[in-house]
Amino acid sequence: MPRNALRSVFSFFFFIGRKARKTRVFFLISGLPVLVALVVQASRLFAAGAPVDGPSLFNNVIMAFELQFLILVLALFYGTSIVSEELEGKTLTYLTTRPVDKTAIILGKYASYGLFLLIMLAASVVLSFIVLNIERLADPDAWMAMLGGLGVLALGLLAYLAFFTLVGAFLKKSVLFGLFFSFGWENVVQYFPGSTQKFTLMHYLKSLLPAASTGSPGKLSFLMVGQQPSSPGVSIATLLALTAVFLAAACLIFSRKEYIFEE
Amino acid sequence: MTAVIRTQSLSKWYGNVLGLSDVTLEIDAGITGLLGPNGAGKSTFLKLIAGQIKPSIGKVTIFDEPIWNNVGTFARLGFCPEQDSFYEDMTGWEFLTRLLSLYLFSPAEIRAKAERALDFVELTKDKDRLIRGYSRGMRQRLKVAQALAHDPQIIILDEPLNGLDPLGKRKVIRIIKDFKDAGKTVIVSSHVLPEIEALTRSIILLHQGKILAQGDIHFIRDLIDKHPHKISVMCSDTRGLAARLVGEPSVLNIQFGPAPDTIVFETRDRDAVYGLLPRLVADNVIDVEEITSPDDNLQAVFDYLTGK
Repeated sequence: MPRNALRSVFSFFFFIGRKARKTRVFFLISGLPVLVALVVQASRLFAAGAPVDGPSLFNNVIMAFELQFLILVLALFYGTSIVSEELEGKTLTYLTTRPVDKTAIILGKYASYGLFLLIMLAASVVLSFIVLNIERLADPDAWMAMLGGLGVLALGLLAYLAFFTLVGAFLKKSVLFGLFFSFGWENVVQYFPGSTQKFTLMHYLKSLLPAASTGSPGKLSFLMVGQQPSSPGVSIATLLALTAVFLAAACLIFSRKEYIFEE
Repeated sequence: MTAVIRTQSLSKWYGNVLGLSDVTLEIDAGITGLLGPNGAGKSTFLKLIAGQIKPSIGKVTIFDEPIWNNVGTFARLGFCPEQDSFYEDMTGWEFLTRLLSLYLFSPAEIRAKAERALDFVELTKDKDRLIRGYSRGMRQRLKVAQALAHDPQIIILDEPLNGLDPLGKRKVIRIIKDFKDAGKTVIVSSHVLPEIEALTRSIILLHQGKILAQGDIHFIRDLIDKHPHKISVMCSDTRGLAARLVGEPSVLNIQFGPAPDTIVFETRDRDAVYGLLPRLVADNVIDVEEITSPDDNLQAVFDYLTGK
């Protein structure tokens, strides 16, 4: 597959994505933590002695929201739409009649949507961090911890995006399946004892949280209830390998499958 | 001449539904019209030869190469789909240039080709408007533009005149004929006979997924000689001519009308009647204004072949 073809598809969908209404909607959704952070800080200013501590709120509530909700929602709606929006909009023909390999269509669109989502995620995490840690912005440890958390979220986002790309290429009712997977399977099975929890992506993401390695109470430690974490190396390797496998399977299905528009 | 497109035993099922059945044909350069009622299998056939769906049985070759998943051949092919779908938030210019970028042309080539295509379909002055604001005719012409912007050797148009007003139809017909004049191959489908007649005399008749006939309209007429052939005569003495024709064994039936001073009769021996007519007219001193064969209209041929 020529790299130029991949770049052309990436640039095609990055251009479309910039103008899409969906992008604006999901930017707003990903901005919710920033809004919460602003409200909390405003209440601290106007109600002296408020019990809410900014850094603690960021490290626990905001990061938990990003990890257990936001990256799943973003990946679900963007991943499944990689194929389905071309089918529902009946625009797939414009892509599949060009001299571009179908693998390049999937990978180029995945890369472009992945970049959009990473920008949304980074904006959400970094802005809410700045707002809630306004008194600690000179502390390099706080920045490093935030960037570490952002790295875990980015890894999770790309893995889920790849999984939902595969689901979208394979299933018609991909969003319904995706909702069940995200808020059923991923949110329940991760708490199963033994090795069953390793059948969730969330297990490997949580294994990368600082609380998993230190075992100390504090940052996101409440998320580790019932967890038997894998080592960071195994977790990163597993997430990267699964992302590659999901994408390869999505490309294979998209190349072989016939997509018929509904009348 | 080498056929540009070849299909062999081409069949397509959608589950249990038959889309196309055992189609073997060759298509040369020039305009070929694909004619048939809705659901005849025209779109299925066009999607198969455009490599958009996979044959259940049989094969399709374009320039002797298989088309399904053969990305290399797509550069030589332009496809204008039937559905009225676009990336609505793009302008016409963005739509064309972004699609051309998928051919890996240089930026200068992309600009030149997009400008030429927009000029060809007369959309240059509207190129910076959002597609969602385009009229039906403009959208149809933009669809044609994206199919020919990269200068393909084959252009496949699925119902390109659908929903257009007469002026819009004339514009698209001119575009298609210009493309043919440039030595290219055009395959165009329609369920409206006058549209196909306005474009070409080389047709393929499809019905219920099968080819009923293929070739020039006269050739097709020869294929259906077992069906009665209608001849219409407008003359000064319709009753006198009718009286003479009644005695001829090759004449099956005679009707007066529908126009005044016109009789229409049916025969299974067209050549014999065309030989007889001048003699009858001359012997009986009948002034003939017009002799026509309604069967040369594609609708009549289609009706015969489909048993209507």
